[in-house]
Amino acid sequence: MGCSSSLPDRSSGRLVGTNSENGGAPDAKNIRVKLVLLGDSGVGKSCIVLRFVRGQFDPTSKVTVGASFLSQTIALQDSTTVKFEIWDTAGQERYAALAPLYYRGAAVAVVVYDITSPDSFAKAQYWVKELQKHGSPDIIMALVGNKADLHEKREVSVQDGIECAEKNGMFFIETSAKTADNINQLFEEIAKRLPRPTTS
Amino acid sequence: MEASSASSSSSSVTFYDFLDRMRNPASLDLVRSIKSFIVSFSFYAANPDNDAKKVQEFFTTMEDTIRDHPIWAGATDEEVDSAMEGLEKYVMTKLFYRTFASSPGDIKLDLEISEKIQLLQTFLKPEHLDIPSVLRNDASWLLAEKELQKISAFKAPREKLLCIINCCKVINNLLLNAAMSENHVLAGADDFLPVLIYVTIKANPPQLHSNLKFIQLYRRQAKLVSEAAFYFTNLVSAKTFIVDLNAKSLSIDEIEFEESMQAARETNKLIPEEFFTTQEVMTTSQGQIDPGASARVHHKETNAGGSNYPYMEAEAGDLTVRDVERLLSLYKDVVTKYTTLCKAVKSFPPTKTESSLPHLEGSSILSTKPEENTENTRE
Ligand SMILES: Nc1nc2c(ncn2[C@@H]2O[C@H](COP(=O)(O)OP(=O)(O)O)[C@@H](O)[C@H]2O)c(=O)[nH]1
Ligand SMILES: [Mg+2]
Repeated sequence: MGCSSSLPDRSSGRLVGTNSENGGAPDAKNIRVKLVLLGDSGVGKSCIVLRFVRGQFDPTSKVTVGASFLSQTIALQDSTTVKFEIWDTAGQERYAALAPLYYRGAAVAVVVYDITSPDSFAKAQYWVKELQKHGSPDIIMALVGNKADLHEKREVSVQDGIECAEKNGMFFIETSAKTADNINQLFEEIAKRLPRPTTS
Repeated sequence: MEASSASSSSSSVTFYDFLDRMRNPASLDLVRSIKSFIVSFSFYAANPDNDAKKVQEFFTTMEDTIRDHPIWAGATDEEVDSAMEGLEKYVMTKLFYRTFASSPGDIKLDLEISEKIQLLQTFLKPEHLDIPSVLRNDASWLLAEKELQKISAFKAPREKLLCIINCCKVINNLLLNAAMSENHVLAGADDFLPVLIYVTIKANPPQLHSNLKFIQLYRRQAKLVSEAAFYFTNLVSAKTFIVDLNAKSLSIDEIEFEESMQAARETNKLIPEEFFTTQEVMTTSQGQIDPGASARVHHKETNAGGSNYPYMEAEAGDLTVRDVERLLSLYKDVVTKYTTLCKAVKSFPPTKTESSLPHLEGSSILSTKPEENTENTRE
């Protein structure tokens, strides 16, 4: 079924509609951010990104579906724009050892698990540990419990998520790519935490 | 989306424009800087990390210089960028033999990877990487392989990188088509990486390690970002996967894996004799009534003291398609060995004080044509 569920989106209108293609050098007002997604296959990484990015595309277009690299620019209140360059990673076990190649140089790592799957939560904890060990020390890490719409099947408590995040100095949020709940917030919160290049 | 980011118009037009501007007397100072930068390398032994640092710093400095230079007065960012692409290509073409596959370690790694891939090619199937059958498309895969194999046809880091990007775009299109026509639910990197790995194994791109290292070190840093960096990283990832690959990396029975690898190794070892015997068989089975050819081949073979140059006296007309395949692989082998030898020879200090950079006399620095300006219509 993929990630297609009908949903109002773009409530905030904060998304910058056009794809800033100029590729101009990032400056104080235009930040470019490499964001790496980590997590088991099936936890909803692709759906989260799609939910976040789709606003800028024709919703009927399949062009963006399932791409492993996507970018989306958001404007913050102080008129800074943040261009997220989102790197998907292969979730299959056999590729786990390759992850450092992807998160090297990333400003943000988003570790995703599925709140209905304790296994995926264990895997998320593994990624967090890996990032602590091998990631760049100033990498911003977010822990995301996805599929929050499936409360009746929940197997990982909110508390467990919060604790894991706090212990590791991470930002925590539960999302639903299906209902779009907290998806924009996730990226906005990340944007807020980015170090700003000093203007003057 | 960002499909166009890496492809700034036709690269050769850009490059000629760069050369043209350099011929302008007003850019004599630039020409001097470039010249002296390139010459400065001949004073030191090759050292990849150091060399790369120097080159990248030079690019950065030159970018500022060009931006402020009278002949680029009023130039847009894009025009400055084109000039920089020209500069990168020029400098790296001049420094190519020093900077590409320049250490014995690199050459060894290239050979090891290529040999391992050769073994894997004999038995690896898409299902070993759990590639769904809707994504198995020989035509697209072949196209992607071709793009990757072109990587050594270019010297400029940008053009090498483009081969990788083009390969990845072909794969992306394949995934997209599968999504549209087969209703395959796309899985992002979960689909992409296995296909890229498989394509890389099928392609066995020449000097994979060295090409990646060269791009990493010498592509202008400001350009190895975003989507280009993403695809580049994926190929590095594919290479790493292949280097570390064992039975556990694949969906395959461990014993079957070991046996297949062993069988492939033995076949590879046998090739030299096989070259000779099958060549003879083929010639006769083709009904060639020229026993002399065969005899000459045989004769030469013995003369060469057991080394394998069975085609030394063959005539073009004698060759079959399979001979051509063998010749090609022998040719590649010879080229690899020859390059290795040349490198080794070059690394000895020169005995005479001859210029190792013959193009540096006078202003002829810019009169040489780029070596590989093949009119490849790269997008
Ligand atoms: N109920 C529910 N299902 C989701 C959600 N996000 C993703 N899914 C489903 O989970 C499956 C895997 O999602 P995908 O994004 O491909 O996971 P990935 O492998 O991590 O990229 C798909 O069938 C999605 O429809 C969510 O928030 N809620
Ligand atoms: Mg995915």
